[in-house]
Amino acid sequence: MLKMHNIRKSYRTDTIETHALRDFSLEVNEGEFVSVTGPSGSGKTTFLNIAGMLETPTGGEYLLDGDNVSHLNDRQRSRLRNEKIGFIFQGFNLIPDLNLFDNIDVPLRYRGFNSKERRRRIEKVLEQVGLSARAKHLPSQLSGGQQQRVAIARALAGEPRFLLADEPTGNLDSLMARQVMELLEFINEWGTTIVMVTHDPDLARRAHRNIQIVDGQVSDLQRAVAAAEAATA
Amino acid sequence: MFGYYVSLAIRSLRGTPVLSALMVAAIAVGVGASMTVLTLNYMMSQNPLAHKDSVLYAVQLDSWDPNEAYQRSSNEMPVQLTYRDATALLRSDIPARQAAMHRYGFTVSSDDFELRPFSGEARITTRQFFALFDVPFLYGGTWDADADSSPVQQVVLSKATNEKLFGGENSVGRSIDLNGEPFTVVGVIDKWNPSPKIYDLNNGPFNEAEELYIPFGLHRKFEIYSWGNTNGWASGDSGEGYEGHLQGESVWIQYWVELQSAEQLENYRDFLTGYIREQKQQGRFQRPLKFALTRPSEWLVLNEVLSDDNRVLGWLSLAFLLVCVVNAVALMLAKFLRKAPEAGVRRALGASRQAVFVQHVIESGCIGVFGGLCGILLALVGLGTIRQLSFGYIDQVATMDWLMMLAAVGLAILASLLAGIYPAWRVSRTNPSLYLKTQ
Repeated sequence: MLKMHNIRKSYRTDTIETHALRDFSLEVNEGEFVSVTGPSGSGKTTFLNIAGMLETPTGGEYLLDGDNVSHLNDRQRSRLRNEKIGFIFQGFNLIPDLNLFDNIDVPLRYRGFNSKERRRRIEKVLEQVGLSARAKHLPSQLSGGQQQRVAIARALAGEPRFLLADEPTGNLDSLMARQVMELLEFINEWGTTIVMVTHDPDLARRAHRNIQIVDGQVSDLQRAVAAAEAATA
Repeated sequence: MFGYYVSLAIRSLRGTPVLSALMVAAIAVGVGASMTVLTLNYMMSQNPLAHKDSVLYAVQLDSWDPNEAYQRSSNEMPVQLTYRDATALLRSDIPARQAAMHRYGFTVSSDDFELRPFSGEARITTRQFFALFDVPFLYGGTWDADADSSPVQQVVLSKATNEKLFGGENSVGRSIDLNGEPFTVVGVIDKWNPSPKIYDLNNGPFNEAEELYIPFGLHRKFEIYSWGNTNGWASGDSGEGYEGHLQGESVWIQYWVELQSAEQLENYRDFLTGYIREQKQQGRFQRPLKFALTRPSEWLVLNEVLSDDNRVLGWLSLAFLLVCVVNAVALMLAKFLRKAPEAGVRRALGASRQAVFVQHVIESGCIGVFGGLCGILLALVGLGTIRQLSFGYIDQVATMDWLMMLAAVGLAILASLLAGIYPAWRVSRTNPSLYLKTQ
């Protein structure tokens, strides 16, 4: 599903060059739920941004569904992102002056669905996250947990095969965090591949597999070696 | 997606009412000021005879001082003719139509004792004036043919004058007194007010059209002098009294001809050449042989109806609009960059850079539409103020037609798009990942 081989990402200022990812190799299979942990500044978010094609790697190869996406132009990457990837953020990132219905509508608009299809999908995901009655509410009228459920609904509306979650429970209390985690597990059971960055070891353990990133490299050596061997085979 | 972007733009404008109002105001003030000046220039440079531009010609003859060229026109020829030249040219049968004319005025009175006598602007002209300039008649028509050369006391009234004197009835055959002399009404023209008054740009190009039209053959009987500009170079008229004025070298007659084919034009050129040569033999026209037949569109330029000052003012108004656009750029940049996090979210959800750019350009276009509508209102206020300050003489040009209103909206949209392109480009180029983590 997702395959990164020797990915490098560096940021350069006038005087300093920072290596966020170095020879980063990783493979995530279809239907997996992978948690990504690591200390602050280790490169977790950079990995997630490259995986979501929000940033381009400085070097290396990134295959999504077998296609090399490293050299696609902005329009091609945007279309792939819209069709295959759903994002969930720590800060929810709902658009504050759009109600829930219109927030979930955003990715569907870029997908080019007609209004009937958009409405069908929006009503379906709102029902799945238990917020059908709040469709016309603004994000500010909801609790943090409810906002994160809306964000999940928005990510799911396009029926992506790949969900990227960046500390999705980081801003929630333990009860809401558990509810969101259960929702993600439920989504994964439907077949959606999930990669979740988290600081919480308990949540990380609930994933099928945990990847540790340290200093821009995967510390799950066994899988990394296996991935590298598979790539060279 | 266009409708979606428009709805997002309106939502965004309503979300930041103060900033939006400032942006609309910046565009509106720039458009209002520039459209006020541009409307004046546009209306002043209108050619009311555009439909006959290929067949009408103003006639100029260089009968000026042998020692010094005429200095008040760019082609160094007087823009009016002497009376004797005008009457000589009238004898030509080459033009399909022709008219000699000048400005005059009468005291008008009628049998209606309740109507106080009033001063009426008049045009002394020949009978083909009306057909030459497509003047529409409400009642009757032009005067008899012999009235151009002999004293026939007939008059054509304007619609307003007919309403004043006869309540708008068909007054053909009725009589009015001009300077105490009886004149028979032979025609009443419909509403007609060319602006600029192209047939006589030398005497108030934006004055109202005349109230009375009087036959040319009455000069000697009433010793009619021009109420308009008269220019001369000779030290005195060539003779005593009024006859000396008529035969003198002062120029005060405007002269127009209609030449409907290249052949007519060529024949008329030959005629004028022959006429000047003949006059030279009589001791007149001592300058090099020179005449001009000028089309209405060129006549407006030659007479500098739109002066250099007007043109400079037009450029200054556009410069002011540019200043307003620069202000709008700064305001839009502030607004769009403040909403960069939202653009980041949209990018994460599948919007391309181009989609984000188009969304913001359309928002700036919406600002332009609102700015244009407000700009039209400001321009109308500006033109109204000019009408008040000008005591009415510029009423006809200080008005906005539909074309200029559309131009105002177009200018506003263009200005706002120009103002929006850079901010929209900036926000579309921002790295979305910067905002997704920090929101």
